[in-house]
Parts: sequence; structure tokens; C-alpha cells
Amino acid sequence: MQALIGLTISLFLTAVSARAEEPDSTISPKQILDKVDDLYRGGSSHAKMTMRVRTAHWSREMSFEMWTKGKKKSLVRILSPKKEKGTATLMSDDNLWNYLPKVKKIIKIPSSMMGNSWMGSHFTNDDLVKESRMAEDYDLEVGFQGLRDGQRVIEVTCTPKKNAAVVWGKVIVQVKVEGYQPNWVRYFDEDLELARTLTYAEVKKFGDRSLPAVMRVVPADKPQEVTEVELDEIRFDLEIKDDVFSIRNLQR
Amino acid sequence: MKSIIYAWRNIWRNGSRTWITIAAVGINTALLIISFGLMDGMAVDMVRNATQLVVGDAQVHHQEYRADRSFYKVVDDPRSVMQKARSAGVHAAARSYGFGLISSGNKSAGANFWGVIPEDEKSAFDLAHHVRSGNYLPDSPEGQIVLGSKLAKSLNATVGTELVAVVQAADGSLGNELYRVSGILKSAGEDVDRSAAILHAEDFERLFVSGSRVHEVALNAKGNMTAQHIAAVMADDHPGRQVSTWRQLMPQLAGMLEMFDGGLWIFGAIFFLAAALGVMNTMLMATYERIREFGILKALGATPYRILKDVCTEALVMALVAVVSGLVIGLSTSLYLQSHGIDLSIFGAGDISFTGIAFNPIWSATVNLRVVLMPVLIMTGVCVGASVYPAAKAARLDPVRAMNHV
Repeated sequence: MQALIGLTISLFLTAVSARAEEPDSTISPKQILDKVDDLYRGGSSHAKMTMRVRTAHWSREMSFEMWTKGKKKSLVRILSPKKEKGTATLMSDDNLWNYLPKVKKIIKIPSSMMGNSWMGSHFTNDDLVKESRMAEDYDLEVGFQGLRDGQRVIEVTCTPKKNAAVVWGKVIVQVKVEGYQPNWVRYFDEDLELARTLTYAEVKKFGDRSLPAVMRVVPADKPQEVTEVELDEIRFDLEIKDDVFSIRNLQR
Repeated sequence: MKSIIYAWRNIWRNGSRTWITIAAVGINTALLIISFGLMDGMAVDMVRNATQLVVGDAQVHHQEYRADRSFYKVVDDPRSVMQKARSAGVHAAARSYGFGLISSGNKSAGANFWGVIPEDEKSAFDLAHHVRSGNYLPDSPEGQIVLGSKLAKSLNATVGTELVAVVQAADGSLGNELYRVSGILKSAGEDVDRSAAILHAEDFERLFVSGSRVHEVALNAKGNMTAQHIAAVMADDHPGRQVSTWRQLMPQLAGMLEMFDGGLWIFGAIFFLAAALGVMNTMLMATYERIREFGILKALGATPYRILKDVCTEALVMALVAVVSGLVIGLSTSLYLQSHGIDLSIFGAGDISFTGIAFNPIWSATVNLRVVLMPVLIMTGVCVGASVYPAAKAARLDPVRAMNHV
């Protein structure tokens, strides 16, 4: 879940942040991510999304609503299916809580469960927390810059810093030079084998911003499985009170 | 017969030396019988604990289940497996497993949920009676849960505590339910202690939306049948019904038992060697004192074989006296330890577990033909063997020089 939020937000925001930028060959990958980070930290958002998951054992679709503020606060509330309606997840700093309306309880996700899937998707709890710290935990460099499939792209290679507690051995992000929108992110495990691929598609206009509305993640070892998140609506830079991200509000 | 009588007379020509040797060999024999019995007892106890408690003599799984414990690799038609086992007189219990999160207040931990049929568990396995506080699950699904001891401790849970279980259900949804702790298990091995959260099969099905998935059918003959025999009876070509014996299920235990056996032999070898050296020394002294006597015997026409036989018989007679007394002491001690055992809890050990296998704090010996006869027979053989060298020395004496020996 958190994974999803983190990835979605930070990468949607990557797109957003780069919106007005002219292609600039002097900008360093660090600067790009710093800009994203700064924007992410300062900004807030409210979005509605639909997630479709297909695995060997189940297929499901769910929709949820999400609020974010700054880099370390987000809240997700499930709207459908009915069985899970009202289930909510709060991320505040590096902590995660789930609210389960069926039993009316709040559960803090222990660190041992951070690697688990959220809601049966291909995202893990860990992703968000880690994703929001990409520039802190990884060394960034431009691995490729030029034409791929007739498109001008930059590929940023992220290698974990020494002693950084991260799950990936390497992450490569491909961004369009035109508009700095992400094309894909490839995650490699510690043996530098491809573990999963995130792809972005269907650029749409939300208000005055254009960004990819669909994100798909496919695990490398199960190519027939997929989690797809579609952004139905999103608004940026709203007034959201800090109270929204409190445990009290979680069980509202 | 005569040579035995002569041997008997000869060994008492130096009574105190003989007594010392007999005492040494006898004590060695007794110690070996006792320690073999205790080691065997520990092994038997380990196997019994490991199998009777929860694993059983054998288990049936989908052939790929044990490799990755996938929720989706289930026993095919578990009912037929249970029927087959029961008609062969073997107790059977079907179980389902699933991982998830369990939480109480602000404490939470990962847990391995078990779905069980409480009636079957109660009749087939000891775990259902191995409860430290509270009770095992009732026979009907009432939203109750039984926890492993360490899991309960880490959740600060006691009997009656309300817990929330959160799991990834089989349909991908977030399964969550409330349960009340009905009991907390005694120590039953690291796996169970740290992670077991046991539910009624129907509660499990509701939590995991699992249908009637069964991952394991555990079989327990309660000593009426060997694991191999059960495996033969239950053998099935179907990939969804593979039988494994406890040796395959707990290779670390099987390996440990083999190690035990190896250790026992090394331990035994030291004792045998000590006894052999004692006997050899005694016999060397005894023959050295009687060099002139052997010379005369040879001069009178005794063959070397005759002397060899006489000396070895002396050793044999001595060994028999020693071994029989050792047997009496060892066997009676072992029998006592079999019925009473050593209470290890006086050393402050309540629940002992090692490599995930729980030990009974009462350490009992087992008495069987192997642990009694092996030390007795080998010790006798070793003593006689040790006398061959002194005997051969005596047998090869030159009569003239021997008679003039001072």
C-alpha cells in the first residue's frame, strides 16, 4: 500500500515537477531528484485511484482515496470493494498503521511485516518509506542519455550507498527528456537480477498538469502477473490539516 | 571345564590385584550400560516428543508443499487420506497453514496460523494436552485461539486477551478477525513457541477465505506401527498426496540421532580401551610372576596352545565376574532411572528445547537388549582380547630359560 502511494506520488510528482522544465543537459540526476523531493516535501495532494491486481491465484479491483502532505505523511482509505470499504492506512514518518473497520482496530505494522504485500498487490509496505528517500539511500548517476526507440531519454542508475538499509541492489529510472516524465523503473535484487518493472502509460491532463495516469508493476519472475494503478483524479497543493494524518482520524 | 577351575584358582593367587581389575572392569561395564541407556533414553524421548507432540510418525502433503510452503499447494482429497489412515488404525489430523500478523493493543507480531480440527488433534496428538494455561480449542468454532508460549509473551497475551489477526486472504483481500485467547501452549519447540497461532478449521477458513484447503495430514500410530510401515501403507502416486516420514520431515533430528550414535561409540571405545589396558596389565603381571611355572608346564609337555588357552581363560573368568557384577549394578541403576529418571529441572531448567525440539525435563533411561548386551559382550571380548598378548608371551617361553628365571 505504502509502496504504492510512495511510488505513485513520487513518480507522478517527478513528472509534475519536470512539467515546466526545458530539457537541460547540465542538470544532474541528483538535482532532478532533489527538485522532486523538494516539491514532494512542500506539496500536498488528494487523489482517487483504481487498482487492478492479477496474480496466478486471484484477480481483484479496488478503488481508494489518498491524501498526502509533504514527504512523510499520507493517508489511504479504501472505497470499494464493499468488503474492505473503510480500511485505511496511515503513513506518518516511517511508521505505518492500518485501520480495520470490520474489527474496529488499529494495527501498527511491525518492521518484520514491512516486506509484505499490501492488499494482495505487487507492492510492499517497504516501498513507500524507501522510495521517499531515494536520494538519501542511493548514489545517482546518468547511465544513459540519448535516443531510445526514437525518443530522447535519460536513464538514471541508482546504486545503494554503503550501509543503506535498502532492499534493491540497483534501480534504473528512465525519464523522457521531453517533459521529464518517467517511462519505466527497473528494480534489481542484490544479485543484480531484474526483480520487477514499473511502467508508466497514458499521459493525461489533470487540471493544468500532464502526467501518466497508469502505472503497472510486473514481477520479473511472474511475467503473467500484474498490478495496475490508474489515477482517476488528482489535485495538488490543497490545504490539508495535519490532523488528517493522525491516528484519531484514521479510525474516523 | 577343568581349565575354568584352574583359571578360577589362578586368578585368586593374587586376590587384591584381581579384585581391583574386576572392580575397574565391572564399574566400566556398569557405567556403559547406564550411559548407553540414558543416551538411548534421551534419543527415544526426543523422537517421542517430536513425533507424538505434533509432527506425527509421518505426514501427507502436496509433493511441492514442503519446499516453499505455498498456500496454494494443497493435499488432494484429504478426506480419503484420513479414511485410509484410520482404516489402518493410524490416527490422523488435517491441518491448514497460513502466515499473517497478529496484534494485541500496540503489540504485534508475525504468526503462522494453523487451522485444525480440535477433536482430531486431541485424539491424535499430545500438543492439544500440552497447554500451560487455559484450554485447548473447543470442538466448535467460537472465535478462540491458542498461542505458542513465546508468541503469547511477545504479544503480552494471557487467557481471555482479545487479538486481531490480519492476513493476506486467498482471494487477495485483507482478511481480519478478532479472536479471544483460549489457551497458551507449553514449550513445544522453537517453531511452535515463536509463531503458532492455532484456530479451529472453520475460523481459519473464514479468516483466509481458504475454502477447505488442507496443507497437511499428520499421521500418528502411537507406537503401533513404524514410520516406514505407515509410509508403505499410505504410499500414493498422486502428486497431491506425498507421504514423508518423521526422518524426512525432521532431518536435523534424524541427523542428531546418528551423531548421538557415533558419539556413543567413541565414548564406549574410551571405556573399552581403559578396561583393556587394565586387564592387560593384570595379566602381564600374572604371567610374569609365573614364568618358572610356565617353564615347568612346557617342560612337562604343555603345548603353547594349552598355555595360551589357560591364560585367556583366566582373563575370561575374571571378565565374566566383572561383567556380571557390572551388569547387575548397571541394569538395576538403569531400571531405576527408567522408572524415576533424573529431574533436570533441579538445575533450573523448566522447558528445555534444543534445535527446535522440546525436551522432557525428566531424563529417563531406556532399557533394551541393545543397550545392555552391547557393553556386556564387547567388554568380555575386549578383556579376553587384551589377554592374548600376555598369553602369547607366556606360550612362547623357552622352557629351560623360563625354569631358570628368577
